[in-house]
Amino acid sequence: MASELVIKNLHASIEGKPILRGVNLVVRQGEVHALMGPNGSGKSTLANVIMGNPKYEVTDGEIWFKGENILEYSPDRRARMGLFLAFQYPMAIPGVSVANFLRRALEAVREGPRPAGEETPSGKPAPRKTIPPAEFRNLLREKMKLLKVDNSFINRSINDGFSGGEKKRAEILQMALLEPEIAMMDETDSGLDIDALKIVSDSVNALRGPKLGLLVITHYQRILNYIVPDFVHVMYDGRIVRSGGKELALELEEKGYEWLRPEGSEVGVND
Amino acid sequence: MTEALATTGFSREAVIALSRHKGEPDWMLQKRLEAWEIYEQTPAPLGRRGDLGTLQRLARFHFEALHPYLPADGNGALPASIEQGLSNALVGATERSGLVLQRNSSVVRVELSEELKSRGVILTDLDTAVREHGDLVQRYFMTQAVPLATDKYTALHAAFWSGGIFLYIPSGVEIEEPILAQIWLDSPSAAAFAHTLIIADELSSARYVEEYASAFEGEQPSLLSAVVEVFTKNGARIEFTSLQDLGRNVWSVMHKNSIHEADSSVSWVMADLGSRVTFSNIGSNLIGNGSAAELVGVFFSDQDQRFVIKSLSNHVGLSTNAETLVHGALTDESRVEFDGMIRVQPGAQQTASFLSEHNLLLSKHCRAEAIPGLEIGANEVSASHGATTGQIDEEQLFYLMARGLPKDEAERIIVQGFFEPVLQRITLDSLRTRLRRNIVRRMRGGHESEADWIEAQERWEIEGVDEGAVSFDRPSEEEEIRLLPE
Repeated sequence: MASELVIKNLHASIEGKPILRGVNLVVRQGEVHALMGPNGSGKSTLANVIMGNPKYEVTDGEIWFKGENILEYSPDRRARMGLFLAFQYPMAIPGVSVANFLRRALEAVREGPRPAGEETPSGKPAPRKTIPPAEFRNLLREKMKLLKVDNSFINRSINDGFSGGEKKRAEILQMALLEPEIAMMDETDSGLDIDALKIVSDSVNALRGPKLGLLVITHYQRILNYIVPDFVHVMYDGRIVRSGGKELALELEEKGYEWLRPEGSEVGVND
Repeated sequence: MTEALATTGFSREAVIALSRHKGEPDWMLQKRLEAWEIYEQTPAPLGRRGDLGTLQRLARFHFEALHPYLPADGNGALPASIEQGLSNALVGATERSGLVLQRNSSVVRVELSEELKSRGVILTDLDTAVREHGDLVQRYFMTQAVPLATDKYTALHAAFWSGGIFLYIPSGVEIEEPILAQIWLDSPSAAAFAHTLIIADELSSARYVEEYASAFEGEQPSLLSAVVEVFTKNGARIEFTSLQDLGRNVWSVMHKNSIHEADSSVSWVMADLGSRVTFSNIGSNLIGNGSAAELVGVFFSDQDQRFVIKSLSNHVGLSTNAETLVHGALTDESRVEFDGMIRVQPGAQQTASFLSEHNLLLSKHCRAEAIPGLEIGANEVSASHGATTGQIDEEQLFYLMARGLPKDEAERIIVQGFFEPVLQRITLDSLRTRLRRNIVRRMRGGHESEADWIEAQERWEIEGVDEGAVSFDRPSEEEEIRLLPE
């Protein structure tokens, strides 16, 4: 059975300021959804709330994944269940090598929902999955080739001193490596030149298939020429105000967002 | 005589008894008595108003309860804990060119390779040096590098020093293999004085590693007073590494200082992990033209530990360089004060001096205070200083957790990353390993088993972020990770 991410009437705020005002959305494995909308409409917030960023407070609604309400789950547990977020602004972590980090991340997602050592319902500690360096190296090398990532990058600190394009490619590299069931790409296209956009899109298309559900968050229609969505949703003022097929993206390209603006809404919410 | 030696507390009589017991020449007795006068007349340093209060706490320490001198055991055998510590030393028996072991008040072992002896290197306890090289000791002992009147604690040190290490490296002799010194305290209510006097003659070089450790139980605290004086003559190079891993029942006061002739250099590596209270002063006096100093420091404090670290780069000559880089983490209720000074004297043109100090706070109750200072008396100077104190970045934490790493582990990885830039500057592999293990052990998470954290530290040791530490350019059938020479 395909895994499902189900968002029901989701409300969330940051520092008391409401940003999501009742989002409903279902993303299944095998589907590609585009989430579009003007700046400040709440697209990034939605992705962060789904991933469990503690900065945001969920004030109402539910998030279901694989039949479980994951609202109370920590971000790492959500990742271990098969959720992934390609960050709009990936954090630099000086002094921590990409190789070291990615190997641990891959082990973590392979361990499953419970971290190694934590007690399972059977009363035994969850096992630790160790990936031998050689096996990891082969896997990583394969994915790096796909994303045309330079070998040297693996010994650098995570995102430290990376260019904007390198950071975005590194995010997709992680996605390719961790093989999530549902992945969110938060404005991965912004800041990419056309060549980098093609490389990223080709990689994402290569990952497409019945095992991956995608939520592509973008402000621009451009990336959707390469990653053609099955569904397009438009977010405005913390709600999804219109859903349709891929033709909706083209319509937005032509007309802009203004015609979808709900009555009485104000633009300018921090995204 | 022995009665006065057996007393607790410090007094003029005890000074005289100690000097007589050692059979010292009169000049040393006079020096001790001069120091005792200064000790009696000088108030303890109390720090500034509004600081974290550690120096005040040190000033209230019960010095009168300490034994100023502990005679060595007759047979010279070492307790098992010290033998064990020696076999786990930062520099192993086959890797070192010399060894000095001080236990409480006495140097109990001195070893130096025959080759170095034949080339004129002198490594001995300080009592022997007073007898056999009195002119050198009289000239350099607590006169210029750490003058006995520096503060109340140095005066006490000069009045009551015992044990002590003297190293002289003749002109042009370059000692490749490190010399190891271990200073052990294994008695409660003891005052131990560790004195290290290093004279590196022209164009000589040496690596010297000093470990401070303790092995006794109980609440009755002991005091370690350590003074390190390094003199580098023209073109000499010294790398001085110290690891302070004293028990939590030891208070320590350290003064380390170097006096540089032209084109000489000293690299200080300083790691503070243990003790209850440590007041550490470290300085470089760049007097000769073209001389250079470097200080790389690491600390990690927890529980109720308190550290005060003061550094000074004193630029006097033309075209001198100094760099100070200190990273430390604090947790629980620990407190650390860092006071880093760059002083450029009038006429010290073409000085280049940099200082950066970073504190990472891992609990709500720990406190850190960093005061970088800059005094510039010359006009052609390149100097910068900076200090930061912060917590683990929540967004970094979320990023790692969003990739599946549990919170404990994500925090540990961020802390490891925080230390990495300074660890990369430490050339002694064994110290880097020791520090990594210590950091991982202190960051050990709730869900991680012992096997997990041992593996975590091993991975860190292997992978680190060394450029090329993990090679991806090799045929895939090769299993092991390649370690490139540094």
